[in-house]
Amino acid sequence: MSGTLIELPSVERKLGKTMVTLIKDDLTALPVDGFVFYAREDLALGSGYGNAIQQRGGAAVKKELDAIGSVGMGEAVITTAGAMKARYIIHACGPKFHEPDLEAKLRRTMRSALELADRHDLKTVAFPPMGYGFYGVPLDLCATVMLEEIAAVLEDRTTSLEKIIICVTDKREYDAWKDRVAQFFG
Amino acid sequence: MARERSWRAQKVIERLEQKVNRQVLLSLAACVHCGMCTEQCHYVLANPDDPTYAPAYKADKLRKLFKAHIDWTGRAFPWWVGARSVYTDEELEDLKDTVFGKCTNCRRCSFNCPMGVDMATFNRLARGLLVHVGIMPEGVATVAKDQWEIGNQMGVLKEDYLETVEWMEEELQDEFDDPNIKIPIDKKGAELVYTINPREAKYDPRTIAEAAAIFHFAGENWTMVSEGWDMTNFGLFNGDDELGGACARRVYDAARTIGAKRIVISECGHGYRSTRCEGPNWSKTDLPDIEMESSIITMLRYIKEGRIQVDKSKNSIPVTYHDSCNMARSCGMTEEPRELLRLVCSDFREMYPNRQQNFCCTGGGGAMSMAEYAPRRLKSAKIKAEQLRATGAKIVITSCHNCVDGLTDLIKHYQLDMEVKQLVDMVYNALVVPKPAPKVEVPVAVAPGEIPAKALAGYKVLVIDDEPDVRTYLRVIFKDKGAEVLEAPDANQGWRQIRDQKPDLVTLDLVMPHKTGEKLYWELRKDEKYKNLPIVIITGYGKTDKPTVRFHEFIAEKGIPEPNAFLEKPIDPDKVIETAIQVLGTRIPSDQIQ
Ligand code: SF4
Ligand code: SF4
Repeated sequence: MSGTLIELPSVERKLGKTMVTLIKDDLTALPVDGFVFYAREDLALGSGYGNAIQQRGGAAVKKELDAIGSVGMGEAVITTAGAMKARYIIHACGPKFHEPDLEAKLRRTMRSALELADRHDLKTVAFPPMGYGFYGVPLDLCATVMLEEIAAVLEDRTTSLEKIIICVTDKREYDAWKDRVAQFFG
Repeated sequence: MARERSWRAQKVIERLEQKVNRQVLLSLAACVHCGMCTEQCHYVLANPDDPTYAPAYKADKLRKLFKAHIDWTGRAFPWWVGARSVYTDEELEDLKDTVFGKCTNCRRCSFNCPMGVDMATFNRLARGLLVHVGIMPEGVATVAKDQWEIGNQMGVLKEDYLETVEWMEEELQDEFDDPNIKIPIDKKGAELVYTINPREAKYDPRTIAEAAAIFHFAGENWTMVSEGWDMTNFGLFNGDDELGGACARRVYDAARTIGAKRIVISECGHGYRSTRCEGPNWSKTDLPDIEMESSIITMLRYIKEGRIQVDKSKNSIPVTYHDSCNMARSCGMTEEPRELLRLVCSDFREMYPNRQQNFCCTGGGGAMSMAEYAPRRLKSAKIKAEQLRATGAKIVITSCHNCVDGLTDLIKHYQLDMEVKQLVDMVYNALVVPKPAPKVEVPVAVAPGEIPAKALAGYKVLVIDDEPDVRTYLRVIFKDKGAEVLEAPDANQGWRQIRDQKPDLVTLDLVMPHKTGEKLYWELRKDEKYKNLPIVIITGYGKTDKPTVRFHEFIAEKGIPEPNAFLEKPIDPDKVIETAIQVLGTRIPSDQIQ
């Protein structure tokens, strides 16, 4: 497979012993301990990243999800990642399409995903911009909530997490996130 | 007591207030309910007794909401102007059924509205309002999410896309028995980036191979890209401007990273409109250094400039042409595809009505992704089937991938004896592949990228150009390779030098004051003595000024043979020398003629 056409430098900031990193890359192809999938309550994988999980991971992930059944709003469940480079997938069910209490629900979702990663001793975990894009969470809100919740979890406790990656899909998203990450963590 | 409203209905109203712009406002306010649009809609023609398909009826669904919340007449006299708000999710579902399931945004009604009401624009707006709160057909959600998260609307993974391109490259190499035919990926410095519809990578990769062959034989410096290669844009269909901007930016950013001067958009109506026309606005991007064009224009240019040769007798089966709504009605591209068709097909039959009045393939506006409306869509395709059948053609050509799918489906449904093809298929099929020049005839062996130091020793080259800088530049290039260089600042002095100095090769600029290059070219070709004098046209392309195109029209009109070669400014020194060597090919240098 050829390399990456648009190469953008990662933005990195250290918080305690954990590195928070912004990259532009292919979320479901990352060699990480786990990545987060913005899930539906019925845990259907659907298209987008869900499509990539099915194509790259094989049938195993769906089987595990079928056994779990569903997930509540703001909560997260974990499965293996089938044949993917990652080991685990955290399926975190966040708010969609401007539904009421968007911010509070998004915070809970973010917190659940981070805590679940921690409980499973994952060292490297990658997040998409949670709810941004198809589900319509405004970029500003998405960035604020994600960065604040990451900071809160890292300040709160001793964590297993050594690296938290925010993985965006293209240069446009990268440009929008770059300064926010740099400014937030100083 | 005020009626309670669902959160979705509330958000739709808030969003409407943010999204209504002047264009929509005029369309919403202008309708006089004259009914002239009614018979223009393919849905109405198939359902004459059902008023819910009438364009004005469909438009009124959004108009009522606009009157209730934005227009002052509705707020003052709601009962009088028919203002009506929305309260429940069921009402929003009903609106979904209309804006997604009963209109393909084809704009045919708008073309026939005396008040200029643009149905498609506010139907798109209404779709966007619903998508904002998550109400949309499942297929629309699937495609939009794939495009947001995977980067193309069919969820083709990078590895699969690259593998397909590689496979097509191997096919071409086998077909032409030539390992030098390449489909470059991410080639920095390529002049042209070719972008495609993911349908090509997923279902119809031959069109990639065909386009690649055309670029190869035209000698184009081109590339495909490993990201930002999908020029389609579901934002146009689902009314999401942010998705529209994201898709367009990916294409622009990829082309900028390559350093390309041109983005060529393969045959896709909505992709062309989104990437070239709407994308810069949605993405708030300015692209002063990159031109965007449909591959129709590119192929036409190659033929006119003599960069590829075609033989239309290779396509003798009767063909007709279906104008895609986005190409014809929204972008005005009606003549170029016909001009190209006439150059590559020998039996072209018009379909009636055509151009801006053509009927939709019924798969427009994203309709092919909405499985639940398929029976409705196929019923509404009756008029299209009748149009197709009446042509007697065996092939319907269209320059849109959506139309390919829409037409294929209806052809099957109505059992027409026809197949669907695109212009690229026809151009490829008509290609006359140049035979490689026998090596013995080339006096100087030129390996790619390596030109012998004195390759042009003994040859006399005359540079006719009114720009002193260009003359100096060419003089240095030719001299460096050993040629004797003569110069002329205008056509008259050029004539004199040709007569007196007998150059072996002339480079001729087309745009010059007083007498133009084309006039001089004509005079030379008419003259028995100079009609075979090797001439290379070197000229520049302006954004609006197209001297080469004009020149082609001129020589076609006068019936004069093509020049030996064309080169475009800015001048690439290696290309100039390679071309000169090729053109001079078998000539004996003037200093060796006794
Ligand atoms: S033709 Fe125009 S003015 Fe007349 S009903 Fe249709 S949209 Fe309204
Ligand atoms: S845009 Fe096309 S499909 Fe929609 S109402 Fe008008 S004619 Fe009918």
